[in-house]
Amino acid sequence: MLKTLPAANTLRDRSARAIVGAIADAAERWHDADFPPRVRAQAAIEARTGYSIPVIEYALDRLFGSLTARALSAAIEAEVGSLDALDAPVAQRDGRFAYARGVERAVIVGSDTTIGVALVPALYALIAKARVVVKDRDDRLIGAFFETLVQEDMAFAEHAVAEVWHGGNDPREARLFAGAQTIVVFGDDATIEAVRLGASTATRVIAFGHRASAGYVRRDDLAVPDLMDRIARDALLYDGSGCMSLHLLFVESGGDVSVSDFAQLLGAALERVAIEFPPGMLAAGRAASHAAARDLAAFRAASGHGTVVTAPAARATLIVDPPRTAPPPLAARIVPVFPVATPAEAAEYLRAQHLPLEALAIADAGHYSSLSEVALAGGAARITRFGEMQAPPAGAHHGGEPCIMHFIRWMDVER
Amino acid sequence: MVDPRMGEPEEAAALDARILAAIETSAGVDFDALARDIFAYQIRYSEPYAAYARSKGYDAGHLPARAADIPAVPAAAFKEAALATFDPALAAAVFETSGTTVGASGRHYLATTALYTASLLAGFDRAMLADGATLRYLLFVPDPRERPHSSLGFMMARVSELRGDGNTGWYLHGDALDLDGFMRDLARACAAGIAVCIAATAFAFVALLDGLAERDRRFALPTGSRIMETGGFKGRSRVVERADLYSTLSERLGLPESSIVAEYGMTELCSQYYDSAASRTAARRVKFAPPWLRPIVISLDGKECPPGIVGAIRHIDCVNRSSVVAIDTEDLGYASGGGIVLLGRDAGAELRGCSLDAEDLARR
Repeated sequence: MLKTLPAANTLRDRSARAIVGAIADAAERWHDADFPPRVRAQAAIEARTGYSIPVIEYALDRLFGSLTARALSAAIEAEVGSLDALDAPVAQRDGRFAYARGVERAVIVGSDTTIGVALVPALYALIAKARVVVKDRDDRLIGAFFETLVQEDMAFAEHAVAEVWHGGNDPREARLFAGAQTIVVFGDDATIEAVRLGASTATRVIAFGHRASAGYVRRDDLAVPDLMDRIARDALLYDGSGCMSLHLLFVESGGDVSVSDFAQLLGAALERVAIEFPPGMLAAGRAASHAAARDLAAFRAASGHGTVVTAPAARATLIVDPPRTAPPPLAARIVPVFPVATPAEAAEYLRAQHLPLEALAIADAGHYSSLSEVALAGGAARITRFGEMQAPPAGAHHGGEPCIMHFIRWMDVER
Repeated sequence: MVDPRMGEPEEAAALDARILAAIETSAGVDFDALARDIFAYQIRYSEPYAAYARSKGYDAGHLPARAADIPAVPAAAFKEAALATFDPALAAAVFETSGTTVGASGRHYLATTALYTASLLAGFDRAMLADGATLRYLLFVPDPRERPHSSLGFMMARVSELRGDGNTGWYLHGDALDLDGFMRDLARACAAGIAVCIAATAFAFVALLDGLAERDRRFALPTGSRIMETGGFKGRSRVVERADLYSTLSERLGLPESSIVAEYGMTELCSQYYDSAASRTAARRVKFAPPWLRPIVISLDGKECPPGIVGAIRHIDCVNRSSVVAIDTEDLGYASGGGIVLLGRDAGAELRGCSLDAEDLARR
C-alpha cells in the first residue's frame, strides 16, 4: 500500500520519535528476505565479499532485525535521557533542562567494512537530525537503504547521502571532512590517520581501528547446550573477517575433556555449522595467509609442538597450542586454541601480545565477573555469549563508544 | 666441492656436482629427478624436514614422483627450526631474514657458499649481463662488512667483486642512505663515461628519488648502464606504484625503462628470478627462473593453479641442497608465458573487514 508522504522539508522539522519510527519501518521492510532492494543488495554483497548467500542473509537479518523502534529508542534514552531531548530542552533526571541538539554535518567512512557496519552510526546521526554522508564500499547497501528511508519520509533526501569510498583519493573528500562536526571512520591505521589530518581541529573524529575478538571456555562449560556449534558459528561467519569474528580461543585445561579432544569436537561442529553457513570464496591473499598459518602449524606439530585439526568442508583449521611468544595467527578461517589453566593466563597472553579486543565471548553470561579480567586485558568493548558474537544489539557500544552522543552537542538551559 | 669440515657424506658431493652441472650447462636438466634426489637426501639428514615430510605421507620409501609433489615448508618455518642437513654450528654462511612477518628472524644455513655463488652469478649473468659488460656497481644494499648475514649483501658483493670494475660503492649504512656519496661517485662515473649498475630495494630508490628532487639533481647515465630493483616496501609507510617508480627513475637518471630490471629473491632461496628481457617493455613484467629453479602457483588446497589463475607461489630451488628444496610463500602471482607474474602480498586490496591481522600488529 502506498503511504502518504510527509512534506519534503528537513529532519529538523521532524521529532526524533518520528525519525526513529521511519527508520524502524524501513528496517522492517529490509528484514523481509524478498524485499526487492534487499535481493539486489545481496547479489552485490556476494560479488564484493565472496560470502555465501546464507551468510549474507544472516547478516542482513541480524542487522535489520535489530533496528526496531524499541531498541533504537532504548539506546538513545540510555544516553540522553529521552528522545524528546533531541527535539528541544527537556528536564533531565537531575532536574536541569538540556537540549541534545544534533550536529549539522556528519561523515561516516566505512573504508573496509564487511556488511553495513557504517549503517548503524549513520542512523544515529540521522536521528540526531544531522546531514549525513556515508562513504562506503561499492555494493550500495547503504545507498539502497537510504532510498527506502526517503520513501518513508522525503526529508531524508536532504540528510542521507551515500557515496562510494575510493580509498581517500577523492579531492571532494577534503571539503567533506573539513565541513563535518563529527566523522566516524572504520579502517586501518593509515586510513584513520589520513582522515584525522583532513579534519578540522574542532571536528570529533571517532575511529574504529582493526581489532580482534576472543573466546574463553571454562573447564566445566561443556555442559552448556549447543556450545560447540555456537563457537563454530562465531568462527565461521564472514569467513572470520571483521572485528566481531572469533579470532582466538582460550580453553581451560584440566576438565573432563582434554583440550585436544575439545578441538576434535569443535572441528566436528565446524563441519556441521558449515552446512548452514557454507564457506565463501577466499580471495587469493587471504587463502595464502590461511595456508601459510595452517602449514606452519603442521610443521610445528610434526616436531611435537601442538596439533592441527582441519575441518575440510568448513575450509577451517584449528591450531591447538600455538606458541605463546608470538601473536595468534590472524588469518581467515583459522582459530588458534590456547590451553590455559586460569583466566589470568589468558589475560597475560593478551597483554603480552598487545592484542586489542572488540569482544570476548563466554559460554555462560553468569560467569562474566570471573572472566572480566580477560576482557579488560584486551580492552574489550563487549562481553557476550558464544553464538552471539556477530549479533550485537542496536544499542551496543561498538568499539566502546556511545551510540548517539558523538552526534549531539548539549545545550544547557539554566532557569 | 663439499667442505669436509661440514662432515657431510659423499653423496652431498655427488649432488653438488649434479647441481653445478645444471648451473653451468643450463640445459638438459632432469629437474624432477634432481629435485627428488635432493629431497631424499634432505629427509635423511634434516630431522625437522623429515618429520614434516612424514606428516605429509612421504619418507625414504615413498618419495614424490614429481617435483611439484615435494612437501614444501612455509617460509616462516625457518624461524621455527634449523633447517639444515648438517650441523648449523659449522655453516659456511648464515643468512638472516629481515622479518617479513611478526616475530623473530629466520636463519638459512648453508653448508657451502660455492653452490650459492655459482647460482647467483649464473642468474645475474643471464639476466643483467647478457652483453658481458663490466660495470661499476653502486649499491644501496647491505654492505657485508656491516651486515654479514644479509643474503642480498653477499650476492651483490660477489657480483661486484667478480663482474665489476673494482670501484664498487656501498651507500646503505644501517637504515641511512649516503645520498651525497652516491651522487658524487655517480657524477664521476658519468664524467668518465663508465657504465654503472645501481642496485637497491624499491624503497631505497624512492628515497633516492626524493633526495635527487630535493637537490634538484638529474643524471644522464652512460650508455650500457642499468638498474637492478629488488623489491621491498614491506613495513614501510610509503608505497609507490612500480610503474611510477620506474618512470621516475628513468627520467631522473636518464636511462631507458627497459634497462631497469626487477630481481626477486628471498633469504630462504639460493637462486633468483629476474624480469624476462621480452617483458621489460611490456605493461606486465614476467619473471623467469633459471633451469635449476622452478616456481609453482598453488591454490589454498595445495593444487597447482593453471596459467592465469592467481595463487601463492611455491619455489623449488635445487641450489637449496643443504636446507630445504621446496618452500611455500604468501607472495601472490600467476603463471604466464613460461614464467610468473608477481603480484606481491596485497593484490586486490582484499576484504577482511575491521579485523586485525599480522601486518597491523607489526606496524603498531
